[in-house]
Formats: sequence, structure tokens, C-alpha cells
Amino acid sequence: MRAHLIALGAIVVVVAAAVFGLRSAVALDLLFTLLLYAVLGQSWNWISGYGGNISFGHAIFFGCGAYASALCVTHGLSPWLAIPAGALVAALLAIVTGFPTLALRGHYFSIATIAVAALVDAFVRTTPWLGKATGFELPIAPGWATMQFPQKGTYVALALILFAAVQLATMALERSRMGYYLRALRANHAAAAAVGIDERRVKLVAFAWSATMAAVAGVLYAQYTLFVDPPSTIALAISIDIALIGVVGGIGTLWGPAVGALVYVVLAKAVALQLGGAGKGYDLVIYGAIICLIAALRPYGIVGTIVDALRRRRGAEAAA
Amino acid sequence: MSPLLEVRGLVKQFGSLRALDGVDLDVAAGSLTALIGPNGAGKSTAFACIAGAAKPTAGSVRFRGTEIAGMAYHRVAALGIGRTYQIVQTFADMTALEATTTGALLRRPHLRDAVAYAEEILAFVGLADKRYRLGRALTIADKKRLEVARALATEPQLLLLDEVMAGLTPAECGAAVELLRRILARGVTVLMVEHVMEVLMPIAQHVVVIAAGKTIFSGTAAGAVRDVDVIDAYLGSPLEHGAIATGTP
Repeated sequence: MRAHLIALGAIVVVVAAAVFGLRSAVALDLLFTLLLYAVLGQSWNWISGYGGNISFGHAIFFGCGAYASALCVTHGLSPWLAIPAGALVAALLAIVTGFPTLALRGHYFSIATIAVAALVDAFVRTTPWLGKATGFELPIAPGWATMQFPQKGTYVALALILFAAVQLATMALERSRMGYYLRALRANHAAAAAVGIDERRVKLVAFAWSATMAAVAGVLYAQYTLFVDPPSTIALAISIDIALIGVVGGIGTLWGPAVGALVYVVLAKAVALQLGGAGKGYDLVIYGAIICLIAALRPYGIVGTIVDALRRRRGAEAAA
Repeated sequence: MSPLLEVRGLVKQFGSLRALDGVDLDVAAGSLTALIGPNGAGKSTAFACIAGAAKPTAGSVRFRGTEIAGMAYHRVAALGIGRTYQIVQTFADMTALEATTTGALLRRPHLRDAVAYAEEILAFVGLADKRYRLGRALTIADKKRLEVARALATEPQLLLLDEVMAGLTPAECGAAVELLRRILARGVTVLMVEHVMEVLMPIAQHVVVIAAGKTIFSGTAAGAVRDVDVIDAYLGSPLEHGAIATGTP
């Protein structure tokens, strides 16, 4: 617990220093993307990692935040209002869609999330007040009230605060009844019920919190890019990115999503830099290969493997 | 005084198969009651219906005077019935301590209290030195102990044990009987399914025999081995009495 807090503190200090020190827009953009993906991966991790219900539609909750932001701005409201509004809509969407689907086992839940995401995507693309397929371009109006900043560093700082909050919430989850219950349900739902765990209740609450985190990230993203449309927010490709980040880093671990996001962002950029435009798609090939390797050799991901090794050492010490 | 658990006319139909066809049984508070019967008699199905894992087609299950037949599984556990499984159901990627803590969290919402109680229970069942082992890394005998610990951590009034001795060596069986005695001494009532008659005989106050989904005997262990119906259905005729000692049905 203390080690985790120290690690988080170190990350906050390093990133904060980078915000003040870095002048490179590319570097700051990378940092922002990294933190945003780490938050989305952690959000996914709550229901899919700890809870074991693998979601392939998580981008719709991200989209709730992004669209809440776009709607607030286009209706003359402050995008800060989009944080509670987007979070509330995302949580409700999670509860409504989770109620019939969370009890589905294994891949049936995953299929259901893809179906729900496709429905939401189709709904947005055909609904005039949601901008249909073209989406929204937000007018430029810098200021704290409009959550628009001339310096990229400010966005990075906000993303850092969100990341820290999400990591702290996850530390609390790991040390809470809900955290234990989610892991027990993932391991064996029947045995979990036998010790009095109400699966539907526990998972609905976790899913709602998971959706809430993704929605807040969505608001920040919309204010950063000032452009919201279906492919950049709710598309299946985004959902898959989020799930892959969670799996690569290590499902059901505190640092897994951050590590997964790091691998993802670094890989994508490295390939783009090395191969330039000609390398389009190569990052996905390499990423796909890594996923295959992890699935085959280390199903608990990078961090899961480390945690396992640490636990073995602790067990050996206890036995000695 | 009415019994802690009172089962009347329990029926469970799976399609065209009638797995239970009128099971009656009583479990007195503080007792150890054994449920025995030949393979396929419906013992595990009866357990599932009592614990809430399965909904009975008909009949009544009253626990502390409350009708629990058909109640959600987790609510039955919350009322005070703990159970283990015939085929162990471990939380594979949790340590023994974490798994037991999960059980303890039912009555102790604060993690610190739950962990402290789980430590106590693990010491009680003799797994204290293995508390940081993962569930999947334990031996069968230890997995069964861990299941008992997990169930005990929920502080049940009634503990359902489904063949906890099956697959254990004689030495492990002896340790399990000793644990059983200590569980009873804690004031926990036990209903157990068991095949190993020689293990049951000295400790079971009450024996219920079911065959083909029906209760055919209810009484003392000594009475059970003399009962004509029980001998016919389960134990075998006096000439084959060796079957009792070896525990083969």
C-alpha cells in the first residue's frame, strides 16, 4: 500500500516536472494521450479486470463524456457541467445495459457489449441533436470557465490529476469489500454466492463507477481536441484499444493499465517515427504480436506476472 | 423446540428426471447430522436445494422458522447457511487469506476486521502457515480445509459439508474428523454428506438415509445399520457387511 502511494507520488512529481519543463508539443501530446489511456484502461479494469466481465464496448462511456462536453458547449453551458452530467449518463447507461447482461458468462457478456456499442454508435450517427455522423467542432474560447487552455501543459496537468484520482480510487477498491467481492466473482461465481455475495449488485455498482471514470476522461478529451465525432470517441476500434491496454498491462492489477498504456503509446509512436507514413499499420502488427505472446505465455499480463513473482517470494519467506 | 433446519417433501425435477421425490429431514441445533445414500440418491441435489444453489420444484425448506426454498443463493448464505462443495470450488487466484477474508466480509464490512477474523479462522482450521499460498497451489486436502475456512468465516449457524473426506488419505481423514469435532464445539450445527461410514458412525448424532430421491430412514447411526430398508438400498446384506468398513457404497 505504502509502496503504491510512493510510486504514484513519484509519477505525479515526474509528470508535473515534465509539464513545466517540456516545451515540445509532441511530447506533451504523448503524455496527455498516455495518461488518458491509462485512465480508460483502469476504468475498464474495474469491471473487466477485477470483475472478469470483459467489455468490448467501453468507448461508449468515454463517448458519454465527450458528447456531454460537446452538448454543453454548443448549448452555451460550461463544459465543467459535462463532468457530472456525462458521468451520470454513463453510469445510467452502464446500469441499464448491465442489468440484463452482467450475469452472462464468459464471452456472452463480451458479445453483448459489442452489440450495445454498435447500437449506441448507430443511434448517435442518426440523431440530429447528437451531430449525426459529422459530430461537433467546438468553438475556440480559451479560459478556465470554458475549460480551454492555450498551453498543452494545462491539459496534461488535468489528465494527471484525473489519473492520480483514478489510481487512488483503485487502491481503495483493492482494499475494500467490493474489490474482494469482484475478484471472488471472477474466480468462481457460485462459490462467491455461497459466501453471500450478491453478484448483480456488486457488478452493477462496479460497472457504474467504471463508466463514470471513462466519462470524465471523455470530457477532458473533448476539451483537448475540441472535436467530437463517432470514430474518435465511441467507435469499436477505441473500445478494442481500451481492452487491449488492460489485457497487456495485466488484468485486475493496480498498475496494469498504466503499463499497458505506456506500451501502447510508445509502440505506436516508435513505429510511426521509425517508419514514417510508410509504417502505417505496422504498430498494430507488432502490438498484435505482443498480445498473442502475452495471451499464450503470460495471461495475467506484464504486471500480473510481476505480482505473481512477488507473491511467490513472500510465500517462500513465510514458509521459511 | 423446532429444529434449526426442517425440510419437508422436497422435490426436484430435471426435465423428465425426478432427482428428489420427497425428501424429509430435520437438523437439530448444535447437532451433527449425516445425510447418506447410494450414488445418485440425490444427496448433492438436496444440498443444492437447501443452500439455495438450486430451486426446488416443490416442498419446503425452513431455516430458523423462515421459508428459504427458492430464495436467492447469496441471501441464504446471508441468513446463516455456509457450505462446501463435493468438487472443490476454490478462488484459484486468491491467496488462502484473501479467500477466507472474502467470507469474513459478509459480517465484517471493514477489511481490517475481516482480515483479522480470517487469520483466526485459518489458524483454527490449521492453514495459518499457508495463508499466502494461492488457492490453486494448495493440495486437495488443503483446498477442502480452505473451503471450510471460507464457509466458517461467514459465521454460519448451519454448515453444509459435501463429502469433505472424499479423496483424503486415512491420516488426513483423522485430521478432518478432529476439525469436525472442534467445529461442533464452536456451536456450529453441521449437516454433512459422507460416504465413509466408519468415519460417521462415532460422531453423527443423527443419520438420514435417502435412496432414489426419497428419505427412507431417519434416526441414530446404530439404528441405520440395522434398518432393513437401509441395508437393502445402501449398505448391502449382512453377508456383504465388509462393504461398510471399506466405505464402498
